[in-house]
Amino acid sequence: MENEEKMMTGEESLKIITEMINKTKFDIRQGSFYLLFWGWLIFVCSMSEYLLRVFTDITHYYYVWFLIIPGVFVSMTYGFVTGRKARVRTYTGTLYMWIWIGFLFTATVLFIIQSKRMDLVAPYILLMAGFPTFISGFLIKFRPLIAGGICFWIIAIVIHFAGPLFYPLGTALSMLIGYLFPGYMLKNRVDHDKV
Amino acid sequence: MTRFKELDPILHSQLRLAVISLLVGTEMAEFTYIREQTGATAGNLSIQITKLKDAGYIEVTKKFRNNYPLTICSITKLGREKFTEYVKDLRDYLSPE
Repeated sequence: MENEEKMMTGEESLKIITEMINKTKFDIRQGSFYLLFWGWLIFVCSMSEYLLRVFTDITHYYYVWFLIIPGVFVSMTYGFVTGRKARVRTYTGTLYMWIWIGFLFTATVLFIIQSKRMDLVAPYILLMAGFPTFISGFLIKFRPLIAGGICFWIIAIVIHFAGPLFYPLGTALSMLIGYLFPGYMLKNRVDHDKV
Repeated sequence: MTRFKELDPILHSQLRLAVISLLVGTEMAEFTYIREQTGATAGNLSIQITKLKDAGYIEVTKKFRNNYPLTICSITKLGREKFTEYVKDLRDYLSPE
């Protein structure tokens, strides 16, 4: 910026306002870390469950899902560290964070309620995960994430009627479409904008 | 003849307007972040931030991170109201009835 007392026209003022407001919208796209981290973690858990179920005699195949617990710690630590380092905090970013924390609480309650039939939670989790994904897509105006949220809901219905054997496959597919595809698109955009 | 309301002189300045516009969508922003985004020099930015602070439009908090001083800025309720008013006056000025 030049000399602060320089006279501005109305158009120049408007240009400055638009330019500066747009600059504070971008940071949320760096949330691609969470999409990729959770996308891969749940994809691996789902596929492991499916393979153990189909190709082995292991009855406690759903134990692979305990990987979620360290996943929550990794995610929280990452959030805490990046939050402390953050040089700017936007309202949209805070809303984005609380939507996902709300989802974490809701999912935890579901796991407690359904603790005796964990093998049946997949459609419900997808149903619930569709909501924050869909809203996040709108918050950052990113269509692949909106589509990802819708895809979660569709797959939740499909696997509900297809039966439990299809739960892990449906979950893995949801991760590919709903988290990983939008996550890599966001990551590439961030990297591209950094250049 | 159309009479225009005079634009707020505190905000009708290139750098101060940039700072307020940047802060309006944030809960807080560090001085270094504002400097990078506006492209201003540290000295000039510091003077303009003090003017905005003295007018009650922003709050400035000093902290330390890893023994380094940190200046954090956030917009106040008054600052937000004045910014909204400024945008409205600007709109009237640009497209008068």
